[in-house]
Amino acid sequence: MMSEVNVNVHHVTRVEGHGNIVLNARDGAVEKVQWQVPEAPRFFEAFVRGKPYHQLSHITTRICGICSIGHGLASLKATEAAMGVEISEQTLLLRKLALHAENLQSHILHVGYLVAPDLLGVGSVVPLVGSHPDAVLKIVGLHRMANEMSDLLCGRTTHPITMRVGGFSSIPTEKQLLAQKQKLIDAVEPTKEIGALVLSLAGKLPDFQRETEYVGLVADDEYALYDGDIGSTDTGRHPVPDYKEITNEYIVPQSTGKYCKHARESLMVGALARFNLNEDKLHPLAAEVAGMFNLHKINTNPFMNSVAQVVEFVDSIEDSLDIIDELLDRGLQEERIDVQVRAGQGVGAVEVPRGILFHDYTINDAGICTQANCIIPTNINHANIQLDMEALAPTLLDLPEKEIELTLEMLVRAYDPCISCSVHHLNVEWKR
Amino acid sequence: MQVMSKSDWLSFVDRLIREDPSEIVGVKSKGPKFVFDELDSAEELRLDYDVTILPPKKYFLPVYEDMMKYDLTSAFSVDKMVDIPPRIVIGVHPYDLVAMEQMDKVYLGDTTDELYKARREKTLIIASDILNVSEDSFAGSMGTNVSGSGYDLLVTDLGDSVAVDVGSEKGGSLLSSYANAGAADDSVEARVAGLREGVASGYSKSVDVDKADWPGLLTNNHEHSVWEEKSDKCLECGSCTLVCPTCYCFDVNDTAALNLESGVRTRTWDGCMMRDFSLVGGGEVFREGIKERYQHRIYRKGMYIPERYGFTACVGCGRCVSACLPDIADPSDVMNKLVTSSMGVPKPLPIPEAAPAAEGLAMVPRPATIVRTETMTEKEKLFEIKLDDGMPLGHGPGQFVEISIFGVGEAPISVSSAPGGDTFEIVVRKVGDVTGKLHGMDAGDKIGIRGPLGTGFDAEALKGKNLLFIAGGLGVVPMRSLFNHVLRNRADYGEVTILYGCKDPSELLFGSEVKDWEGRDDLVHKFTVDACPEGEEWEHNVGVVGTLIPQVQFDPNDTTAIVVGPPIMYRFVIRDLKEAGIPDENIIVSLERRMECGIGKCGHCQINGVYVCKEGPVFNYADMKDLPEAF
Amino acid sequence: MTKPKVAFFDFACCEGCQLQIANLEEAVIDLLGVVDLVSFREVMKEHSDDYDIAFIEGCIQRPMDAEALKKIRENASIIVAYGACAVDGSVHTLRNEFTKEDVLNEVYGDADVEGNPYWDIYDKAKPIDEVVKVDVYIPGCPIDRDEFARIVSDVLQGKAPKLPNYAICVECKKNENICLFELGEFCLGPITRAGCNSACPNVKSGCEGCRGFLDDPRTSAHKEVLEKYGVSVDEMMAAFSIFQYGKEGS
Repeated sequence: MMSEVNVNVHHVTRVEGHGNIVLNARDGAVEKVQWQVPEAPRFFEAFVRGKPYHQLSHITTRICGICSIGHGLASLKATEAAMGVEISEQTLLLRKLALHAENLQSHILHVGYLVAPDLLGVGSVVPLVGSHPDAVLKIVGLHRMANEMSDLLCGRTTHPITMRVGGFSSIPTEKQLLAQKQKLIDAVEPTKEIGALVLSLAGKLPDFQRETEYVGLVADDEYALYDGDIGSTDTGRHPVPDYKEITNEYIVPQSTGKYCKHARESLMVGALARFNLNEDKLHPLAAEVAGMFNLHKINTNPFMNSVAQVVEFVDSIEDSLDIIDELLDRGLQEERIDVQVRAGQGVGAVEVPRGILFHDYTINDAGICTQANCIIPTNINHANIQLDMEALAPTLLDLPEKEIELTLEMLVRAYDPCISCSVHHLNVEWKR
Repeated sequence: MQVMSKSDWLSFVDRLIREDPSEIVGVKSKGPKFVFDELDSAEELRLDYDVTILPPKKYFLPVYEDMMKYDLTSAFSVDKMVDIPPRIVIGVHPYDLVAMEQMDKVYLGDTTDELYKARREKTLIIASDILNVSEDSFAGSMGTNVSGSGYDLLVTDLGDSVAVDVGSEKGGSLLSSYANAGAADDSVEARVAGLREGVASGYSKSVDVDKADWPGLLTNNHEHSVWEEKSDKCLECGSCTLVCPTCYCFDVNDTAALNLESGVRTRTWDGCMMRDFSLVGGGEVFREGIKERYQHRIYRKGMYIPERYGFTACVGCGRCVSACLPDIADPSDVMNKLVTSSMGVPKPLPIPEAAPAAEGLAMVPRPATIVRTETMTEKEKLFEIKLDDGMPLGHGPGQFVEISIFGVGEAPISVSSAPGGDTFEIVVRKVGDVTGKLHGMDAGDKIGIRGPLGTGFDAEALKGKNLLFIAGGLGVVPMRSLFNHVLRNRADYGEVTILYGCKDPSELLFGSEVKDWEGRDDLVHKFTVDACPEGEEWEHNVGVVGTLIPQVQFDPNDTTAIVVGPPIMYRFVIRDLKEAGIPDENIIVSLERRMECGIGKCGHCQINGVYVCKEGPVFNYADMKDLPEAF
Repeated sequence: MTKPKVAFFDFACCEGCQLQIANLEEAVIDLLGVVDLVSFREVMKEHSDDYDIAFIEGCIQRPMDAEALKKIRENASIIVAYGACAVDGSVHTLRNEFTKEDVLNEVYGDADVEGNPYWDIYDKAKPIDEVVKVDVYIPGCPIDRDEFARIVSDVLQGKAPKLPNYAICVECKKNENICLFELGEFCLGPITRAGCNSACPNVKSGCEGCRGFLDDPRTSAHKEVLEKYGVSVDEMMAAFSIFQYGKEGS
């Protein structure tokens, strides 16, 4: 055993944003292990003050390029809650579909482009183009399908245009929805093949368990993404307006992204948390895929988050097909948006790919935002990443430094952190 | 005339959609407006529309049209696009039929546009009488609310039944294949006539000047205050030209795929209201002022095109009126304001004679090989080029070619060698993308050539005359094709004087050839530079090229001056020549503009109504001197 | 021919523009065939400081970021600023109307961040050309992926990339949209640089000007149009300060 181990990953790669990992160990004992977030702070909550209600979602979608639809929806829900705006059933269905489009896009990007290289022992997806061309083209095809779905519903793939307070500026035609339905049906086979590929490599995921609290939206009748109560594996259901009691944000010197804690020292949100809370609400094919991976609640291996994303990818395809059928049954109507300005405060929560997201706005009687609070899933996870690292690092010290580094990076990557959101950055620093 | 019941009409359209191999497009609603779009069923067709946002020209000159595909991995490989699907367009109004017939004259006349022709031939037009008049339209006073031609079928929706007039054999066979129509009796014809009368009286807008009088009105009112009043409010958004059924200008761009192996050359609608429309590679914008651009649009409709083609390039559809946010685009309002001023006698615009039309696919370049290069100065390089088909270029002095480098684009370049021979020479200054790329090329490299294009110097007509050549800067390049021809056939010409000026000694072109002149006693030559930097040797004159004129002897009444140089030079040199007593018609110039298509269609090179690429670049000064945009 | 070495970096931004590169889908694979990608933190573990072309996303908030950017400038022969944040600061410049103490306090409360370089921010968020020279600009929030592909292929072919110098209206008309003003909406299209294929008006949403103004926008004519449609200039500019906060013309 090396007497001294120093790992310093300055900017963990293949994650969204900048983060560092520092590990110092001496004589087989960890002296310091730290997850740092040096991302440049971005101040959205400060500068939305003074902005009119109808701009808030268009500004706050810019918090994150990957989950801009989710941010847009959380923002609209908060605004609508504050001003007492009701939305139509059609708007609800279209929003749910938009959220699925983002989930599909983000999950295939993460599993296919960012995690797969670890499982196949390469540094990026680039060499896989040569070594696994069929799989790469299937992943690209699924990614394209998800993006086209965002284009259709939101007007473009990133930073949605159509979604407004109270409704949509423009909706798809029935013909377009039928075409999208066919694309989703056509995506099932390649999804199964990518699922099988991940299954064949799942043995490479470290077998690491650490019990923690899992938090996500829960609803009586569906695998909750757009709406629901806050659910906790430790404390049960809580109403969304009580979110601050769950998140309890605090600041640590090594991170410009805030940390959170609730029932324990840390909590986890994201695909695995949602799965642990909602497994029984999965559609049949998604449940079958979970079974293939032997994924059942409550799974306490954070590396399984990527597998939970594969399961959710399938579930989003199945649920999207159901929603499209329902929309086609109902018939699409151009709806007039009629919004009355009203003073108030409101919270919007949605599940974005990386976990539960809260926007909370106070709006005055002129329709101007006077205060805003956004709690980002990656922030909620920061403390859990830190505690996972503290538990995982001591078990790795016998390994070569490169492997320790890779395993810790894989841990961070498993969370699919979105650090620009959380403010944004990843780095690993090593001392052994 | 035939007639069918309304339900037979609907089943006719539905049968077309289901059974005819063509794509069926027709007028559909889009929110509160209307558009031509693909029909899924006859029910979607809205013959009661007033006007569509875009005219049906989008089916003949598409908004974006791939003209050719190229392969960057081989030395020269280009495939023209030929796969044009058949289409039936339903619901075209009479004013749009008139506009389409105008467009045919432009695109099917002299130099035929192959793509346009193919689309036109593969499209069948089912026109419709106007049922509802657009509130912005003044077609009634333009005589375009009805049209007796331009359609394969013309339908009139009479409510319970639909009258059909067969306009072509193709239309007739379409009707007999798919429709259940019978002969119409007099009462149907009377109802159709009644409907048309009703429409004619339904226009709330009108233009108070007969369109035949537009050219005269415009000629006399170039300085009218209306131009400034209107153009001051202009957003320069280009909407008026883009929605116009008679505007046909386009821009051409190359787009390479990210693998840099292939690409497409695409044309897209362009418009003279946009500032960069007249921008050339060297950075000059020839129609910079918004007022001049505003005037150009109206003059083109009301004067330049009428004088060139014999029709007014406005059909009164009112689309520009609807599209213009500041409410300034309406040609009828401009004419109505001008008519309060005195109207003069129309003065015919001198359109100089055009070069003969190019043969074959006018926009597809021919492969050619660079056989020799010579670096002339830091910025100029000479290329000797041979066409791969072995044919000589066959150019006259002063003509130009479009040099094509796939992935980058095209640039008009003057031929600088004298006529004759299997190869030709160009001298290229590095100013833009094409010329920059060309400078990196060498013997053996392949390029594309279109041409020779434009009018050249008329070497025959100059025979026996005394010639005074005045070249400034790069102007010596096209001029060389003429003076080398003259020197080779020296006995055919009178006295020859060459005055050549450039910025500084390092920019002097064709140095070795110029040296050969020293030994000749049959020509007078003088050189000048604007300035000679310290340390450089220069034994000749210092000053602008005009300062050489008093230094040479010539008989002003028996000398033809040939002047080629940058835009700024003309104004001064021509003034000096006039002062020296040379009559206007004895001054020959070669002008530069943005000659993009080279065949008088894309619109970029126009000097008022004159296409520089087609009627120029070589002009007699007397023909051009009164054009406000020429000098 | 040796392939140009290419690196991607990002500063304060949402990383949505690099996502647009991934969104080129199969064309990304084509691109990887003609360049040597040596650094792209979000997608690859490998990193090298030896590169010819650096693509920069995001704006500059802190001295530590400015220093990193200056190092990139030393290494690269061509710097491409892509995305509104890099090009003109985008939404981040909205914080410039507040003091830095105020924004820090609003977001991080009374946490002790004094002296910590992570929180050492400039008074104002800066586009990258306030720190280093930029050779090529690709505007938009997010960038338009087709425009990105075109400009990259231009750069790789040695062609000077050009942005359209005409208004969004041109693309909007070509797309046969109904004018947003006619639908009773505000739109910055008439004074905003085209190149996005009129993405927002295509779905009946007014242009917000994320691509920046034209070289010589006809702002006074635009103001007259706004007045005609019953919008005061103040109202309009308040509504459209999202991307053009404090910019010339607004």
